[in-house]
Amino acid sequence: MTIDRRTMLQAAGSALALTLTPATGKAQGAPFRIGALNPVTGAGSPYGSGMQKMILAAVDEVNAAGGAGGQKLEAFPDDTQTTPQAAVLAAKKLIEVNKVKAILGTWSSGVSLAVVPLTNDANVLLMNTSGAPALSVPPANAKGLSYRFQATNDRFGRAFAEIAVKEGYQRAATMAFNNASGIGNTTGFKKAWEAKGKKVVEEVVYEPNQSSYRAELQKVLAAKPDVIVMGSFLPDTTIILREWFQTGAKTKWIIPGWAANPQLIAALGLEATEGLISVDSVSNENAPSFKRYDALHQKVTGQPGASNVYAAMTYDMVITLALAMEAAKSADVAAINAKIREVGNPAGEEVFSFADGKAALAAGKKINYQGASSVLDFDQFGDVTPDFGVFFITKGKLERRYVVKI
Amino acid sequence: MEAYLVAILIITAIYVLLSLGLTLQYGLTGLINFGHVGFFCIGAYAAAILSAYAGLPVIVGFLAAIVLAGLAAFPIGLIALRLRDDYFAIVTLGFSETVRIIVTSEKQLTNGVQGIPGIPRLVDGVGILSALAVLAVLLAANGAAIYAFRRIVASPFGRMIEAIRDNEEAVKALGKDPARFKIQVLVLGAALAGLSGAFYAHYIGYVSPDQFNPLVTFYVWMAIIMGGVGRISGAIVGTALLMLFLEGSRFLRDVMPFISAVDMASIRIGAVGLALVLFTLYRPQGLMGDFTRRR
Repeated sequence: MTIDRRTMLQAAGSALALTLTPATGKAQGAPFRIGALNPVTGAGSPYGSGMQKMILAAVDEVNAAGGAGGQKLEAFPDDTQTTPQAAVLAAKKLIEVNKVKAILGTWSSGVSLAVVPLTNDANVLLMNTSGAPALSVPPANAKGLSYRFQATNDRFGRAFAEIAVKEGYQRAATMAFNNASGIGNTTGFKKAWEAKGKKVVEEVVYEPNQSSYRAELQKVLAAKPDVIVMGSFLPDTTIILREWFQTGAKTKWIIPGWAANPQLIAALGLEATEGLISVDSVSNENAPSFKRYDALHQKVTGQPGASNVYAAMTYDMVITLALAMEAAKSADVAAINAKIREVGNPAGEEVFSFADGKAALAAGKKINYQGASSVLDFDQFGDVTPDFGVFFITKGKLERRYVVKI
Repeated sequence: MEAYLVAILIITAIYVLLSLGLTLQYGLTGLINFGHVGFFCIGAYAAAILSAYAGLPVIVGFLAAIVLAGLAAFPIGLIALRLRDDYFAIVTLGFSETVRIIVTSEKQLTNGVQGIPGIPRLVDGVGILSALAVLAVLLAANGAAIYAFRRIVASPFGRMIEAIRDNEEAVKALGKDPARFKIQVLVLGAALAGLSGAFYAHYIGYVSPDQFNPLVTFYVWMAIIMGGVGRISGAIVGTALLMLFLEGSRFLRDVMPFISAVDMASIRIGAVGLALVLFTLYRPQGLMGDFTRRR
C-alpha cells in the first residue's frame, strides 16, 4: 500500500477533528465543576494518583449527602506531569473547556506558581499543596483566591529548629538538595535556629543524581556538628547515610519524612538507621475526619491513609469547598471564597464531615471544619499550620515520640 | 474552548520556531544538535531577567534573547565543529546540561531553583483578544523566520550547507571551509531558539531550571522526524502532530472516563513512541517528506 502526502494529511485531519469533538451534553442540572489537577506523572507521581482518587471520592461523598449549596459537584481530572508547561495547558483546558470554578491539588511549587496567574485571571479558586513562600503573597495571591493545605517549607524548617532545641543540640549543620523544596527546608531551619541564638556551623547544597556524596559529607563532618539537618529526597539520602555510616562518625540526623521512610530503612539496614529523626507534617490522626478519610483511602487505593499526606489534603479541599458553598448558598466564586475561612477557622461548632457540617449550617450554626490533614485554620495568606510528628527510627521501625506545634 | 485552542496554537507556534532552528541545523546541514534546549533556556532567562528584574521594555529582552543565544552558539561551534556526528551530539547535550546547571547555581542572577515568577505578559489584559494578539505576534515571527529560511535555502549559502550535509569531503576538496558555514548555521539556529525562549518566558510567566531539561530537545527531534527532516512544512506539521498527541490525550479522558490518569500518561508516551517506530519503518522521510523516494 502506498500512502501519499494527501492521504496522510486527510487521516491526520480527521484524527484531529475526532479528538477535538468536545464531550458536551452532560450539563443537565448544571453541577458545580472542579478541576482535579494533580501530578499523576513526573516527580510527584508517588502521590498524584492517590490525590486525584481522593478528590473523586470526596466529590462522591458530597454528592451522596445531597450536594453543596443546592448543587452537585462534578470533577474533571487532569495531569500536571509535574511540569509548569503541561500544567498551564491543563489548567487552560480545565478553565476554558470544562468551565471549572476551582482547581484543586497542584503539587510542586513550580506548577502552582505557573497556574496561579491563570486562575486569578479567570476568577477561579486554586487549592494547592506546595511549599514555596512566594505563593502566599502578591502577585501570586493578589486576589486571595489561592489556598495552601500544606505547611510552607519555612514552617518545616521552624519545626526542625524546635526539635533540635528540644533534643539539646548545639552545633547544627545543613545539607540541602539543590531545588526549591530542599533549600526551602534548610533556609527555614537556619532562620529559626539563628533566631534562637544558635549557630549553623556548615551549610552544603548538593547537586542531584550523584553516585557519591563523599566530598560534601566530608566538608560537613569537618565542622564537627552534633546534628545534620537535611533538605533531601530518598535516593540521595540513601547514599549520603551509607557513606556517613562507613566513616563511623556519631552525628545525629534530622530528615524530612519523605526521605526517611521505611524504604530508607530497607535499603540501609537496622544499624545504620538507628536513632535517625524523621519529621513529617502529621495528619489530624485522632480526628473522626481522618478516620473517614482513612477508610475511604483504603477503599479506593488499597493503602492506609497515612501513606499519602497529600491525599488527605486533597480530600479536605473538596470538603472545605463544599462546606463553603453550603454556607454561601451560592455557586458564585466570590461568595464561596468569602466563606472559606468562616467554615474552616475557629469560633464555630467543630464538625468532622461534610454531612455533619451541612446539618449544622442548616440549623443556623457556625461551623469549624476539622480536616483529615490538619485542623485547617487559614491565616490571612490562606496558609495552614499543621502539626509535625517527630519519629525516631528504632530497630528498623519509625516510632513517633512526640508532636511539635509551631 | 476557543481560548484553550489559542493556547495550544501559541505553544505550537513557540515549538515551531524551535523546530525551524533544528531543521536548519540538522535537516539542511546535518548537525546533530542534542542541546537545542540550552539555547532556548538562554533566551527564556535573558527575557525573564531583563523584563521581570531589570524592568526593561519587552523588546530589549527579546533582542537580548536572540543575541545571547546566538553568541552562546559561537564558541560551541569553534570547539565542537572539528567533531562530526555523534561526538558533536554529545558535546551539545553536555552544553545544554551545563547551561541548566549554571542557571541553577547563579542564584543572584536567576534566583536558582526557585525560578523567576511574575514575568510580564506580551499583551496586557485578560481574555481571548489578548491571547489572539500574542498569537498574531508569534505568527508574524514564524512568518519572518520561514521567509528567511526560504531565502537561505534558495541562496548559494543554502546549497553549500546542503552539500556539507551530503558530502563534507567533497566540499573540502572544492576549497571551501565547512567549519565556517557550520558555525553560521549553528548561530542562526540558536538565535531562533533564543527567540522562541523569549516568547515562552513571556507566555508561561514563570521560568525555573527544571523546565529546560533535555526532554524539550527530544520533543523537537520527535516533531521534525515525524514531520519530515529538512522541510519547513515538515517542521510545522510535525510540531502540530506532536501537540495533537500530547494535548489530544486530555480529551480522550473526557470521552472515555474509565481510563485512569496513570494509564493515560502511559498511553500518551506509548502513542508517540509507536508513531515514531511506524514512521521509521514506513515513512522514514516523514509526513511531509519527499514521498517519491526513500532515503
